[in-house]
Amino acid sequence: MEVIDRYIYAVTQRLPEQQRADIKQELRGLIDDMLEERAPAHQATREDAESVLLELGHPNALAAKYRGYDRYLIGPMMFEPYLTTLKIVLISIGIALTVVFAIETIVAPTDILEHFTSYLVSLVTAGAQGFGWVTIVCALIDFRQQKEAASASVNKGWKPSDLPHIPDMNTQIKLSEPIAGIIFTVLFTVLCLYSIELLGVWRLHDGERYVIPFLNADVFQNYMPIIWVVAALGILKESIRIIVRKRTGKMLALHIVVGVAATVLICIMLADPAIWNPDFIQQLEAAGFLSAGAEGYDTVVSIWSEVTEWLVNIIGLFALIDIITETYKWYRIKQTA
Amino acid sequence: MADVNETINGLLSELRRGTIVIGVLSQLSEPQYGYSLVPVLGEKGLAVDAGTLYPLLRRLEKQELLESKWDTNEARPRKYYLLSPFGREVYEGLCLEWRKLIISMEAIMDEDKGGEPDGSD
Repeated sequence: MEVIDRYIYAVTQRLPEQQRADIKQELRGLIDDMLEERAPAHQATREDAESVLLELGHPNALAAKYRGYDRYLIGPMMFEPYLTTLKIVLISIGIALTVVFAIETIVAPTDILEHFTSYLVSLVTAGAQGFGWVTIVCALIDFRQQKEAASASVNKGWKPSDLPHIPDMNTQIKLSEPIAGIIFTVLFTVLCLYSIELLGVWRLHDGERYVIPFLNADVFQNYMPIIWVVAALGILKESIRIIVRKRTGKMLALHIVVGVAATVLICIMLADPAIWNPDFIQQLEAAGFLSAGAEGYDTVVSIWSEVTEWLVNIIGLFALIDIITETYKWYRIKQTA
Repeated sequence: MADVNETINGLLSELRRGTIVIGVLSQLSEPQYGYSLVPVLGEKGLAVDAGTLYPLLRRLEKQELLESKWDTNEARPRKYYLLSPFGREVYEGLCLEWRKLIISMEAIMDEDKGGEPDGSD
């Protein structure tokens, strides 16, 4: 009877693949037995079949009994921090793209329609990227936590001393810190992705604005995977901070590892001479900012030729300061604890 | 106020859940298929519906308390379940625990009764 096939299908669809065939056969046998009890000798009507199915209950409920557990991509324990991170990431993507759109419109107001279309397209693509990455990261963290919880319950390894400490105001990471971190990371990534040519010397000439870029956008494109890795590392770290919300030795180690990795990657990128705009000085001259022999010309040229070294040093210094402040904060907590 | 019968039924089904496991294990010294267990348990006053029993049988098999075999000789293929040696041990242990539980519960409920003024004195 068709309604029975549909019922069995509805139950087994919600079960793991490798158990389906067996359960299907067993369930069919059961329903046949129950039918026979109601109407002997293959005389069962559709009403009989339906009453049997009603007795067995809703297919979802029966499938749930067979599974014996519920499955989640992101479980109830993780859902709140997941939503928080997701909101922050999506909002900061929105802000960053809007900023880029505004700047582009100011630079070239005549192309506003074009900017607006690319703004909408970027909103969708970057939003999907952000949504995807946050979901993947949270799902992985959730998966690990579930595995840990499962092994802990098997080993019965629960000790009252394992209970997390009530976070006091000092050890707690303020929510604003990771949020600011995520917004900064997203702004940085969006800038690199969509508008690297906006980084440069701006010039207003006869009502037309244009920019002499610092970087060579074509070469920079090849380094996009590095930008992605740095952004993913940054967002991963901040997401973990939102979830843990506490300064611990492990969190400090994570902070340092991610910080060093990101700094090294960025410096590798900047150390490539090809990434810089090769015609920067000439373009400055053509734009009338500089003229050979004028005062300051040599200074600009010499700064430009050493720009890589300077930037690498400055970025390194910032990374160092960041690591020292973070270590200091952690150290002070350890002292008072 | 909540209905007394409704509340009792809700709590009773929680209490029954564990007893069904003992009931099922007790009947499987001989191989049986799922639906044949329903009337057997019903006659003994342990009503269980097939939608609960079948998933339970699979779970007990997964926990290695039961062994199973498909019988395809008959017109209707049926999966027969039988207590495994491990299951037998577990069943005997459970019975012991259950008897202790009965004694404790009896004592608790008698004590409760004894505490009430029965007016015979």
